[in-house]
Order: sequence, then structure tokens, then C-alpha cells
Amino acid sequence: MSKIKMKLLRPLALGLINLLASDIRDVRTGEIIGRALLLPWRGRILFFGTSPDLLPIFRPQTQMVQWRSTLGFTKHPSPDFPHEPRS
Amino acid sequence: MSRVLNLILAHQPAAQIQKLLRWWSAYSDPADLLIAYGGTAANFQTLPDVPRVFIDDPRLRVRDLQRDKQSYGGIWRAGAQYLLEPSHLDFTHVYFAEYDHLPLVPDLAARLLQRLQDERADILAHHLRRIEGTNNPFFLYHVADPEFAAFWEGISVRPEKDTVLQMHGSASFWTREAFLRVARQPEEIKVYVEVYLATVAHHLGYRLRNFGDQNEYVRHSAEGVTIELARQHGSWTVHPVKLI
Repeated sequence: MSKIKMKLLRPLALGLINLLASDIRDVRTGEIIGRALLLPWRGRILFFGTSPDLLPIFRPQTQMVQWRSTLGFTKHPSPDFPHEPRS
Repeated sequence: MSRVLNLILAHQPAAQIQKLLRWWSAYSDPADLLIAYGGTAANFQTLPDVPRVFIDDPRLRVRDLQRDKQSYGGIWRAGAQYLLEPSHLDFTHVYFAEYDHLPLVPDLAARLLQRLQDERADILAHHLRRIEGTNNPFFLYHVADPEFAAFWEGISVRPEKDTVLQMHGSASFWTREAFLRVARQPEEIKVYVEVYLATVAHHLGYRLRNFGDQNEYVRHSAEGVTIELARQHGSWTVHPVKLI
């Protein structure tokens, strides 16, 4: 029964979140990399949405501003590590 | 001279395994196939007469693949044992594929070998990505275990020991050395196969590369995936195709 409820409720919940959400742009490239609803809650930020692999990062500022900063998101580059000889 | 072992994970009864073997035989020498059987022991006894090995690993047969952190360690260990038999020492590479990940080109082995060489890689994986520090649900679920980070720290030959990789688990291509080394690594913690295989290989010093253009018709969901569409796209393989 609970599985059926979940199957029915999940798309509804995700639809509502998508309606209220905003696009997330990569702080480095400006490219849209996801969509989510962000809510501050008890000293944390709740992240609602299914966009995966988002890496939170403070956005660099061209001016020295002491009272404001922007927390955004980016993604890791595609893995390109060398073959590492074992020691 | 290279020779690729096609290690195929399947769990179906004999009739379906027969169909699967017929499909693969159009794309590979039957002598280069090895069925890793994840079905019941009773069904295993009825399988067609092909190279096959029964995977007796409870971590393969978990109820919830992701939450119970399914492992392919038993498959890797059985594959390694097979590779080390005197008559199988000439296998230089291993292509692992789940039963619903099908080849579409007759020269698949040659293409995989060429791509591996072009990428100067030890392993090719579908949808390979870095996930540490992100909201990736697999990363967040695993990193809640304090032993997770300590395990990589303990085995890593890399300067950055916190790197975590994830790949699509349905198929991957390995050099013999990388496959055997990962099989030999004791699984001291439970990590879901898609995270474990890629991350352990990385921290043991092997170079993994993404399949890139070959990811289009390798998906988790069958929605929009057909053999015909995959062929039109120029895909070498397709996933998931449950019925053939």
C-alpha cells in the first residue's frame, strides 16, 4: 500500500517542486545545470529537486564586499586522472 | 595479440540464456563468452553447455540494489579465477556486461581496444563522473558511513584520497591487469557496485575514462531506448533491452 502511495505521491511532489523551483546555473560557465527549490531552514539550506552531482561553491567576487556573498553550484569536470604507478 | 573475454551477468532460466547466447554469438566467438550466473543453483544446473560460473555471493542477491549496496565482487573474483586458469591466460582484456546490455556491432572487441588505446586508459566506463562533495544521492548515502572515507584513504595510491567516482554498472571494459587487481582487493566495506568498482580502480592507480559518445543509448530506464534507435545513432551497445 505504501509503495502505491509513493508511486502516486512522488510525481505530484516532484511536479510541485518543479513548479516552484528555479534553474541552477553553473557559477563558472553560466550554463544551466539543474533545477531545484532551495529553502533556508534552521541554519541549513534544504535542496528539493532531482538534479544530481551539483557541487556547492561560493561564487568569486570581483569587488571586495564584506556583507554579501553568493553560494552557487558547479559540476566536477569529467574524470581524467592519469595512470598512477603504485609505490 | 589481444583477446577479450566477454563476462556476462545473467540470472534467467536456461531458455532465455540460450537466446542471450545466440545474440552474443553473432558478435563474439562463443569461446570468448563466460556466463556469470546470478540465478538459482537449480537453474544453473540446466544451463546450456557454455563456459559458465555460479556466483555464490549474497551481496549480489540483495533486495534493494542501491540501499543494500549491491556488490559485483563475487563476479569479479569468479572472473579472475577463470582468467588465471592455464587455458585462459591469453585473455588480455575483459568486457563485463549485464544480460540486458547487448552488443550491436560485430567488431565490438576491436572498437573497445582501439578506444582504450586512444584514451590511454585501463578501464572504459559508461556515464563516468566525479561525485565527491556533491548532492549525488549515492555519495551522500555512502559518506554518512565514517568508514567510507577511511577505506579509500587506506588503499589509495593517489595524492587526492577523497575522490569518489560513479559509473553506470551495466557494462565496462577492463585490461586484464586492472580487472585482476580490483578482484584481489578485499571488500572491507559495503559500497554500491556503481561507486565501488570505479572508485576502487581509481584509487589503485588505474586510469578510467568515460565512453562519451557511446553513452547515449546506455541508460537506467528503457524509456526511449530501442535496438533500432541505438543502431541508427551508431551505438556499439544498448541498455536496457530485457527481451530478445
